[in-house]
Amino acid sequence: MIKVDALTKVYRVPQKEPGFWGSVKSLYAREYKDVRAVDGVTFQVEAGERVGFLGPNGAGKTTTLKMLTGLLHPTSGTCTVGGWKPQERNPDFLRAITLVMGQKQQLMWDLPCSESFLLNRALYDLDKKPFEETLAELTELLDLKPFLDTPVRNLSLGQRMRAELAAALLHRPKVLFLDEPTIGMDVEVQAVLRKFVLDYNARTGATILLTSHDMADVGAIAKRILLIDQGVVRFDGSLEELAKRFGAGRRMVVRGPATVLTPMGFTSGDEGKMVATVAAERVNGLLSEVLQALPNCEVSIADPPLEDVLRTAFGDLRPKAPAEAAP
Amino acid sequence: MILAHLRTFPTLFRISVASLVAYRAEMVIWILSTTLPLVMLALWNAVTADGPVAGFDQNGMTRYFVCTLIVRQLTGAWILWELNYDIRSGALSQKLLKPIHPLWYAALTMVGAMPFRMLVQTPLLLAVVLWRPEAWRTPSLAEVSLFVVSVALAWLLSYLSQAFFGSLAFFMDRSMGLWSVWFALWMLFSGYIAPLGVFPAWTATALKWSPFNALLGVPVQILGGFTTPHDAVPLVLAQLAWVVVAWVLVAFTWRRGLQSYGAVGA
Repeated sequence: MIKVDALTKVYRVPQKEPGFWGSVKSLYAREYKDVRAVDGVTFQVEAGERVGFLGPNGAGKTTTLKMLTGLLHPTSGTCTVGGWKPQERNPDFLRAITLVMGQKQQLMWDLPCSESFLLNRALYDLDKKPFEETLAELTELLDLKPFLDTPVRNLSLGQRMRAELAAALLHRPKVLFLDEPTIGMDVEVQAVLRKFVLDYNARTGATILLTSHDMADVGAIAKRILLIDQGVVRFDGSLEELAKRFGAGRRMVVRGPATVLTPMGFTSGDEGKMVATVAAERVNGLLSEVLQALPNCEVSIADPPLEDVLRTAFGDLRPKAPAEAAP
Repeated sequence: MILAHLRTFPTLFRISVASLVAYRAEMVIWILSTTLPLVMLALWNAVTADGPVAGFDQNGMTRYFVCTLIVRQLTGAWILWELNYDIRSGALSQKLLKPIHPLWYAALTMVGAMPFRMLVQTPLLLAVVLWRPEAWRTPSLAEVSLFVVSVALAWLLSYLSQAFFGSLAFFMDRSMGLWSVWFALWMLFSGYIAPLGVFPAWTATALKWSPFNALLGVPVQILGGFTTPHDAVPLVLAQLAWVVVAWVLVAFTWRRGLQSYGAVGA
């Protein structure tokens, strides 16, 4: 569904020295610096996949997403989505995709969201019956009914984001590009959105490419992870593979006295619990040691948090020599 | 493709009216702020009290500036400010994601706003008609037909010239400065503040074929009966030529602009 081959984007950024003379100089001799935001990225995503596209700020995630949606023209390399070249902005391509950006909105600010939905129906040339069916479905799933006729400016952030999501999906896109979709939402709305995206994927077989700094989004939605840093893909695999490769080990949490557990390698965690990170092959050994010392204690073993895994991954994968950061 | 775009028109028209109503106070003030022709009418009315100027007596001046006001309202566009803001803020991205060209979308919206603009101006126009009823004449069928074509071309040229200056924001931070220069020239040379006849003969002849006259003067002259339909046909053809030039310029800057669009913040 998505094919990306040696995709590169170089921004030309004007430079100006600070101060008055810097301004004068830039009048007649403006200097530019090339910033390589995406550097030869190659990957493929099959139809129906749910992919987390992760990386630190300035890694090139959003730039890649903008090229995949046709907003930016690549400097070199190619990308196709559903067989279309995004930068050609074929209307059929635009009907097949959607881009949900947590911080940007498409709803008309002074009109009720129902008006924006009708506008999208006209712009996407949707037939009345399927439009009404989809709208009814989205209204129920996202609980839009109480505020359908309220001007957007009077909605809470959570209500607005739900309406934004509905507006983005009314045309039943086959590919969803989600860029920080839950940013600024409260926990409850985040959960609604995640559940909805999963459900949409299951029902329609849509392909999902997600960028998010919220690891709960990634853990809930993505099956596959693409790690990008400094414009280059540095890891491509499943969540489990990622945890296996970069997780320092499994995380054992025990409720028990520090005097007993500290010599075994445990440190103090939250709520009086003791925590140890253990290599997978040592888990059984340590568990029997703990149960021998504290037969009735409460023990849990889990994969390390995704945040820790990613922190390790970015640390391990980043080359030693410093490189340009994307704007 | 054009048919598909036109199918969206009824919805865009309704949305356009709904938006205007949401901003009704601001919109009325903004529309009324384009009534400079009535101020110019008061001025030229005083000047022509002692006798005709450049062939215009008081009745002629009244008819001229009322026609100017009507044409100004019918050729109103604001794509310049929208484009400039959208490109610089990255808001254009949302519009680029829709399966309709952003310039088509904006054009249909602005045409949709036209009846509302005329509605707001109607009381003013009626007041002027009642003030000087002897100034009016009934245009012929040929004049009305030619006026419809001419005013449509003037609107298209107005829209495309704004789209051209607006899309320069793809390449430069201060494209509005260039627009200000263009707008000043337009004010002076389009017949907006004075009929072209007040200029020296050679200047008036040159300006007759300029894009400024195509933007406003030609439909005003046809509607007011200041030229015959026979003499107006070449001027309408000149309007068409300017529309083609503007279309080519917009297509070029838009295509090049999208290649360098940074989609900042979006």
